[in-house]
Amino acid sequence: MNDLIVQSINSIVFSMLLFIMAAGLSLIFGHMNFINLAHGSFYVLGGYIGYTMISKIGSYWMALIIVPILVGLVGAIIEFLFLRRLYGKHRHLEQVLFTIGLALITADIIRSNWGTYVVTMQTPLLLDGSISILDSQFPLYRLAVIGIGLTIAVALWILMQRTRLGIILRAGVFNRNLVSESGINIQAIFTGIFGLGSALAALAGVIGAPLHSLYPGLQFEILVLTLAVVIVGGLGSLQGAFFGSLLIGIADTFGKALLPEISLFLIFALMAIVLLVKPRGLFGAQNS
Amino acid sequence: MISNKPKTDFTHPIIQSYSRRKILKLAGAGALAYTSSLAAACSNQSSSSTRDVPIKIGVLLPYSGIYATLGDSISAGLEMYLDQLGYRAGGRNVQIVAEDTEMKPDIAQQKARKLIEQDKVDLVAGIVSTGVLYGLREYFHNNKKLLICANAGGNKISRDMKSPYIWRSSFSNWQPNWPLGLWAYNNVGNKVFMSAPDYGAGHNMVDAFAHSFQSAGGTILGKQFTPFPSMGDPAPFITEIRKSNPSMVFCFYSGSAAVAFVKAYDEFGLSKDIPLVCSGFAVEEDVLPAQGSAALGAISGLHWALLLDNETNRKFIDAYKDRTNVDANVFAVQGYDTGRIISHILDEVQGDTSATSRMLESLQDVSFSSPRGPFKLDPKSQNPTQHIYVREVKEIGGKLHNVVIEDLGEFTDPGNNSLG
Repeated sequence: MNDLIVQSINSIVFSMLLFIMAAGLSLIFGHMNFINLAHGSFYVLGGYIGYTMISKIGSYWMALIIVPILVGLVGAIIEFLFLRRLYGKHRHLEQVLFTIGLALITADIIRSNWGTYVVTMQTPLLLDGSISILDSQFPLYRLAVIGIGLTIAVALWILMQRTRLGIILRAGVFNRNLVSESGINIQAIFTGIFGLGSALAALAGVIGAPLHSLYPGLQFEILVLTLAVVIVGGLGSLQGAFFGSLLIGIADTFGKALLPEISLFLIFALMAIVLLVKPRGLFGAQNS
Repeated sequence: MISNKPKTDFTHPIIQSYSRRKILKLAGAGALAYTSSLAAACSNQSSSSTRDVPIKIGVLLPYSGIYATLGDSISAGLEMYLDQLGYRAGGRNVQIVAEDTEMKPDIAQQKARKLIEQDKVDLVAGIVSTGVLYGLREYFHNNKKLLICANAGGNKISRDMKSPYIWRSSFSNWQPNWPLGLWAYNNVGNKVFMSAPDYGAGHNMVDAFAHSFQSAGGTILGKQFTPFPSMGDPAPFITEIRKSNPSMVFCFYSGSAAVAFVKAYDEFGLSKDIPLVCSGFAVEEDVLPAQGSAALGAISGLHWALLLDNETNRKFIDAYKDRTNVDANVFAVQGYDTGRIISHILDEVQGDTSATSRMLESLQDVSFSSPRGPFKLDPKSQNPTQHIYVREVKEIGGKLHNVVIEDLGEFTDPGNNSLG
């Protein structure tokens, strides 16, 4: 029973990390109809820049705020310079090729700057301890990840449901033409969305680095899981990203605990089942 | 993906003069104790002008993905050895052609073909992962090309998948773990939980440890084989381990998974109560800085340790640090010894790489003092006979290192599955 509770907490920690990643990717997929396979690169970029910043200025919390802004700007610039040349209904292949290229370039930049050794970000001092949950020691930092994830979920929910920008974004998922014909500068909105999505990925990178370290190849590992979340949850839906993350997080944790040899398979089996029952994902928009 | 890495043009005058300086320095320090090869090299000096086509050594290693550090370290060790020889062996210049296997058996297959059929390399060295090694076995065997495996320890390559063309300069997965299992039963505890990645090497290492541990009377409470190559969040595995309440945990991990596992083991408070005994790769020098104090006290078995006290090792670790600015690790040692074995072969055939059978013969009597201690190739298992050391992670001068706490003596792979 105790172990069941501890494993449940484990699964929520992992879900929250996935959610922050998936929220960004889902925004980009759903609102821009753009396939971004470089999302994992923004995650690792956030992690590595955060790592360097922490070793220079010594504050995890500063890095947690500054790094997403920096990487978000990089994302916005990339959108402004390149991505906007690749929009269009039948151009998904070009988008895939471009963003894979971007991911490979990022991998090489990271390799030449930070090398191939595994890099660990220290847990922030404030949270570098553990508390006792039902006779089991549980790291504080992992609990804090749940708090951060929920905070971001609420902030994004307010942005989408309670602001004018949110209304425009939601409208854009259903009918992009209508939005641009209403006199809204859709290009500027896209730049903003991509920047925000990249910033969320970088934020997840800074949060995830003390948990999982940073190493070559990480960007593709995290990308695959995030894609699974977005597909299960449904493109462009915040609720979808949230509940999709929970579902994948729970499947991953309990799969590892009960059937470790096939745990990775379980995630994709779950994805396949969801797609069979609801081809657009749990919360996917019905048309776009 | 991205094929980068090493400089291939070693005939450049600047590089040559640099390496000569380096050789003088190191030779003066006595780092080169290769008497027979030196004689052979000298006797061939006159004919070298007529045979100025360099010998090409193909190198197949992962330079990207989770084992990129292993590839880099093996490369650096191999290059360091060849550099000390001025990139000459058997009276000819030696050149490296390196390819990135990306840790994928299919990519490695393509790259092996490219090296042998297109670049016409004379022999191949490298290979980090057991899956890649097994995948390449048929190709090298059928094409009668020599492969010196500088890491991948899959037992089968010393046993039922043996090929006269594949020799190992590294270890078999059985080798460090069987002696460790016995030692751990006598010195640590009698109930173990085991955790390793779900691929050939993981199973080999667990089986070897389990064999000697159980034969001695120990009990195995559970085994956990985790997803490979990506382990993801280690927390669920750690929680399962605690549930079984063992008197010790045995694990094998390498690279990023080793960091994730050892850190989580500490964060969830297990390191306080349950000793961690592992295959040496899990706390090797390449991952130790990232693991930090989480690794303190971890006990491991391996065929080398950074602070191993012998003259060859002292010189090796200094020279390696000079060259790369990082501490050496076991993979660099294996790369270095691979260079030594290759130069031995080339000297024995006096640079005539078409004499395949003589090259293979020359491998039978390879014996030298390696940074890991006395080293010889065992003709039966085509794998090193070497010492296995029990090490413990301790803090020395503000840094964490593996300190040898016991030399378990010399071990040779049994060449069959009788001992796990």
